[in-house]
Amino acid sequence: MAIKNLLQGINEGLRQAMEADERVVLLGEDIGKNGGVFRVTDGLQKLFGPSRVVDTPLAELGIAGAAVGLSLTGMKPVAEIQFSGFTPPILDQVICHFGRMRNRTGGRSSLPLVVRAPQGGLIHAPEHHSEAPEAYFCHTTGIKVVMPSTPEDAKGLIIAAIEDPDPVIYFEPKRLYRTVKGEVPEEKYATPLGKCRIAREGSDCTIVSWGAMVHTSLKAAEELEKSGVSVEIVDLRTLTPLDIDGVLASVRKTGRAVVAHEAPNTGSWAAEVSSLIHERAFDALKAPVQRVGSWDIRQPLFKTEHYYIPDAHRVVRGVNKTLSRVKAA
Amino acid sequence: MPLTTVAEHKTERLEVLAADGTLDASVAPRISKEKLLELFTVMTRIRVFDERAIKLQRQGRLGTYPQILGQEATQVVPALCLEPKDWLVPTYRGQGAYFARGMKLRYSLLYWGGDDRGVKFPEGNNDLMFAIPVGSHMTQAMGLAWGEKLRGTKNVSICWIGDGASSKGDFHEALTFAGVHKLGMIMFIENNQWAISLGREAQCAAETLAQKAHGYGAYGIQVDGNDALAVYKAVCEAVARGRAGEGPTVIEAITYRMGHHTTADDATRYRSNEEVAEWKAKDPLERFRKYLLKDGILDQNALDRIQKEAEEYVAEEIKEYEAFSKPNPLDMFANNFATAPWPLIEQRAELEEILREKQSRNEIPELPPAEGRFP
Repeated sequence: MAIKNLLQGINEGLRQAMEADERVVLLGEDIGKNGGVFRVTDGLQKLFGPSRVVDTPLAELGIAGAAVGLSLTGMKPVAEIQFSGFTPPILDQVICHFGRMRNRTGGRSSLPLVVRAPQGGLIHAPEHHSEAPEAYFCHTTGIKVVMPSTPEDAKGLIIAAIEDPDPVIYFEPKRLYRTVKGEVPEEKYATPLGKCRIAREGSDCTIVSWGAMVHTSLKAAEELEKSGVSVEIVDLRTLTPLDIDGVLASVRKTGRAVVAHEAPNTGSWAAEVSSLIHERAFDALKAPVQRVGSWDIRQPLFKTEHYYIPDAHRVVRGVNKTLSRVKAA
Repeated sequence: MPLTTVAEHKTERLEVLAADGTLDASVAPRISKEKLLELFTVMTRIRVFDERAIKLQRQGRLGTYPQILGQEATQVVPALCLEPKDWLVPTYRGQGAYFARGMKLRYSLLYWGGDDRGVKFPEGNNDLMFAIPVGSHMTQAMGLAWGEKLRGTKNVSICWIGDGASSKGDFHEALTFAGVHKLGMIMFIENNQWAISLGREAQCAAETLAQKAHGYGAYGIQVDGNDALAVYKAVCEAVARGRAGEGPTVIEAITYRMGHHTTADDATRYRSNEEVAEWKAKDPLERFRKYLLKDGILDQNALDRIQKEAEEYVAEEIKEYEAFSKPNPLDMFANNFATAPWPLIEQRAELEEILREKQSRNEIPELPPAEGRFP
């Protein structure tokens, strides 16, 4: 198997999906000739031509609405929004149409489409280039939300997202694009949506995480191991629909849970995960679930951004809070 | 029944200075020598600044930076057609406009250097903080003009956008409202031919972007955006129209983004060197300089002095930028609310504790005191 980075995993997944199904078209700003501002779609316009890898005018809402229309004609659009910080305009289509079309038409119409967007911070980027807006999308019914943390999953999940009969938002943790490498199978394969992955086994506390924060959590786990604390890490991979069985199985095993993510805690996806654990595994919990997220303020510019997004130290503090509860009791 | 013509529209283009600096007196604006000098001096300074900013970025002393090389006239000149109480609504590539209104360049560097203390406008100016999401400021500029109308002032708003932003729905919405309410809003399109990698022809099928004005009952005109005097004339006339209650103007200024989209971009991937060279010959500052020499407004000595002063001025601003203390992370909690609610109070205290922990382990140095107002 070849060693690839996360970005190459997505690129290969897109290419194989396009080879397998000529209805798959890519659309977005600067994705063709330029290969995307991060080069995720590099080389694809050359392979498939400008009518299947389309550089659109600068209009995010237009891209999202076009994806709806394309999808209804039987095409399989994969739209790119250049940064997740530029997704607010598309919420009009996402909330009002993506997740409602199947239901409003009594099941006669569906929207097999994918919207990809780079997510997350810590790449020294300007404002609106570093957000973690997944909760806005997870809160919307009728759509699925996906975020890989490894090159292998990046490829398998984009293929699964394209093959899925319902709309999928595929967030790409951009600081992992080139920093995370791993083996990626050559053949075309789909990583099932709605299934989490155990990124590390442990017995004292579960950290539930997704995207780049899985790697921050892995660092925290190494730190905690030095003081004799064994941490299990659940990489959600699909945020909605959540793999509730996978999450609860881990929490029941360790008896403690921390949800580590990049968005502010208030109204976050971590709040939902925490709530579900309390509702369904209260009997197994030795301490309340802790959320480790960014602060409830505007994301600062990059000189202080690393004090806004949680680092391994803050994840360690979160785990220690669940442990100290028991000691005190 | 035969078809009848119900509306006819034409779109004109204004040019004042030829490429060799020759002035066409028949269309030239009325402008004082002092104003000419002001335009030229500010354009020169922002050119020098832009060149130095790129170097700072390459040396790791600045973050991602959006170059304005080639757009000095479209940045500086409109801002100098306004009164301080008119609303300045630039794009993120708007350092030139803010500078022309008196913002110190050190604050621009601070912002692009990733420091939230950046972008500090002079007191008393109606300068709006720029928007990073493309075009989201257009409807705000319309609202500003509307507010001034309701308040009974004659203040106008001027909104810079690029050719790319003219594709956004916000463009349509802003001009629709502005037309209906006859607002003193100027939509100033810096058509620099490239929205990152997408060329102007692929952005919109219309021959000009100026003609979009007709769809909203606005006045539209195209100008040579590398011709400082054409830009001056068109904007001054649009401002007068706005103050007189005659409604919005769309100005399409044809210019060229000589540099990459930002320092994070590589324009050689999508456009030819020949095209860039062609536009270099139309340089706005060079053309202005030739005109000033040709008409005897300035001699070579005076030009050299302006250049030298610009370099000294910019060097001083860079020195001031680099003299800023490191920001205290606790200041990210300031100015989020008039009065911070409990989550912010708790979280700031938690960050304070984290900073102390890190300092006690020598992971971070001593921090300067927090400056921002809290709670």
